[in-house]
Amino acid sequence: MKEQLQDPDREIKRLQRCINDLVSLLGLPAIWSGNEPSQIVEMLLDALLNMLDLEFVCARLNDPATAAPVEILRVSDSYKLRVSPQDIGVMVSNWLTPDGEMSLPTATGQFAENTSMFPVPLGVHGEMGMIVVGSQRADFPTQTESLLLSVAANQASIGLREAALLHEQKRIAHELDRRVVERTAELAATNEELRKEVAERKLAEASLSQAHAQAVRSEEKWRSVFENSAVGVALADLNGRFIATNPVFQTMVGYTDDELRQLTFLDITHEENIEQNRSLVRDLLDGKRQQFQIEKRYRRKNGQPVWARNNVSILPGTDRESRFLMALSEDITQRKLSEEALARARSELAKVTSITSLGVLTASIAHEVNQPLSGIITNAGTCLRMLSADPPNIDGARETVRRTIRDGNRASDVITRLRTLYSKKEPSPEAMDLNEATREVTALSLTEIQRSGAILRYELAEDLPPVIGDRIQLQQVILNLLRNAADAMSTIDNGPRELLIRTEREEPNRVRLSVKDSGVGLTPQAAERIFQAFYTTKTDGMGIGLSVSRSIVEAHQGHLWATPNDGPGSTFSFAIPCNPEGLAGGEPFVNRDPSTDAA
Amino acid sequence: MEIPHCLVMESLKDWSKDKSTLLSVVVDDDESVRESLPDLLKEFGFATRAFSSAEAFLSSDCIDQTCCLILDIAMPGMSGPELYQELKRRGKQLPVIFITGQRDEKIRTRVLKQGAAGFLFKPFNDADLLSAIKTALQAA
Repeated sequence: MKEQLQDPDREIKRLQRCINDLVSLLGLPAIWSGNEPSQIVEMLLDALLNMLDLEFVCARLNDPATAAPVEILRVSDSYKLRVSPQDIGVMVSNWLTPDGEMSLPTATGQFAENTSMFPVPLGVHGEMGMIVVGSQRADFPTQTESLLLSVAANQASIGLREAALLHEQKRIAHELDRRVVERTAELAATNEELRKEVAERKLAEASLSQAHAQAVRSEEKWRSVFENSAVGVALADLNGRFIATNPVFQTMVGYTDDELRQLTFLDITHEENIEQNRSLVRDLLDGKRQQFQIEKRYRRKNGQPVWARNNVSILPGTDRESRFLMALSEDITQRKLSEEALARARSELAKVTSITSLGVLTASIAHEVNQPLSGIITNAGTCLRMLSADPPNIDGARETVRRTIRDGNRASDVITRLRTLYSKKEPSPEAMDLNEATREVTALSLTEIQRSGAILRYELAEDLPPVIGDRIQLQQVILNLLRNAADAMSTIDNGPRELLIRTEREEPNRVRLSVKDSGVGLTPQAAERIFQAFYTTKTDGMGIGLSVSRSIVEAHQGHLWATPNDGPGSTFSFAIPCNPEGLAGGEPFVNRDPSTDAA
Repeated sequence: MEIPHCLVMESLKDWSKDKSTLLSVVVDDDESVRESLPDLLKEFGFATRAFSSAEAFLSSDCIDQTCCLILDIAMPGMSGPELYQELKRRGKQLPVIFITGQRDEKIRTRVLKQGAAGFLFKPFNDADLLSAIKTALQAA
């Protein structure tokens, strides 16, 4: 103070200069606006260095982000000593509490021998850091210099705080921007996704509705097939309960669709077909077969039977539906009735024609009678000529008359035999000798055999046991076989025509008769076909011979068959038991009814 | 080729001429025919022989003398038409009259086409037979 009063001009100048410096300092924050902290500090340090003619000035800024403070140092050009922030830092650490706060507000230090350093806290408690000034002047700092330092520190604090604030603002703004961008991008992405999703959904909906339309059309088509099918269609679950039936089926069985849904197919199946039907369905469900056909009867609602031919298969299931049974059902009642009527008609015809074969009878008579008749006429003509001769040939005439009588008797015998053979007597079994019966019959058909130009041979077993059977019927059979043999050979003219009749005993207690010809023979296929009723190769025959013959033989509990020969021709044979079961000689022979055989 | 004796006669326009040298042969397996026909032929004035089978006739010694053959169609062994073919094969030209008990027009047509001189269905009367023989011999 003393020196100040001594020189008032100098003091005024000094104070003026101080005020100028203050004004400058006060103007700093405006300059600092927008600058980085380090720039602010640098500017301040430069200002202080000049203003206060310091040797060095160092700022140590606390950076909350890092533990180490930011150090900025300015050294006067004229200072000789080397100084580094670290050096300063060492000194500074003496002044700091463990918390980093200034322990002594008015701490000083000695940097070097002639350099003292003073800290100036930044921030109220030095939380922002400090400025350390170094000076070689002994009187540093003066009052005004202290004031300047304080104001500078203050301004620095303000500036730094503002910078920090600005930084924070920037940071926040940046963060905000970033977040906005991020959000916008997110929203855009989400939007895009949504748009895609919507587009996809639209597409899916479109194809769904298209598929739906297709499905509806297809469903309509198949429904039409189902409804309008010309055969009955019925679907049932695996228990046999009807699920769906079409009108044809409903009409056939006489139930409505609703009624059928309460029923299983076995409920409406005829009793006699139930077991077989059930067994086939079981096989189907077990996988033993893929499908089956069955001709069966249903019982209509009114109890009437109706014949149906069913094709049954399994409809495979899907994930959502189990398997179904499907039956295609055709009403064959008409056909069955026709078949039965035909079978009945055939058996009637066979019965009738087995007793009287009028055409055959007539032919027999004609053939057998013609020869003696011819003889009679010739002899009579001869007789007349002889008697008209001159002189009359009485002996010759007598001879012709004798022959005439004999021939007349022959003719009569033939008629009688034929009549016996074709009489409408009830069949009666008797013990008979098959050989004798055979000889009788062959005598009867001798001319027919001769017509074929055949040589007739016999091989009749001598030990043939008697057979219980109907003589007339069995002779019919033999006659039939002989006629067929003769016919078979009638067209042969490049080989021998041989007809062999053989009888033999068959163990244990049967007899067999065979007729072997050397005729046109049989193909293996024909061998069975010829036994069918109405089969014939003759243009004028009725073809019932073999069919009836077989039924006669079978009525005797025997069987009749044909085999091709090793050479030309075929052999027809029948074998019958000597004592058919349940028959004794003299008992009426109950003829098997062919119509019951057909069932 | 041998000409049968009957063709030596220029014509048979005069039926009353002695025919006792002309041999008529009957071949038929039916006994009653073999009994009755030769008598009738004798009444007609022919010499006559009868055989029970075609084979018997073929193995006989009177083939060449035969001037007329009355032949049954259906016979065991060789049939009438077969015998006819055989005779042709041997170069024997002789008139054949077929007789048969079966009413079969097809056979009749067939044998007539083959050149038979005559065809009669049994029973036939003596006048028909005579007429057939006449026709056969005059055509020869």
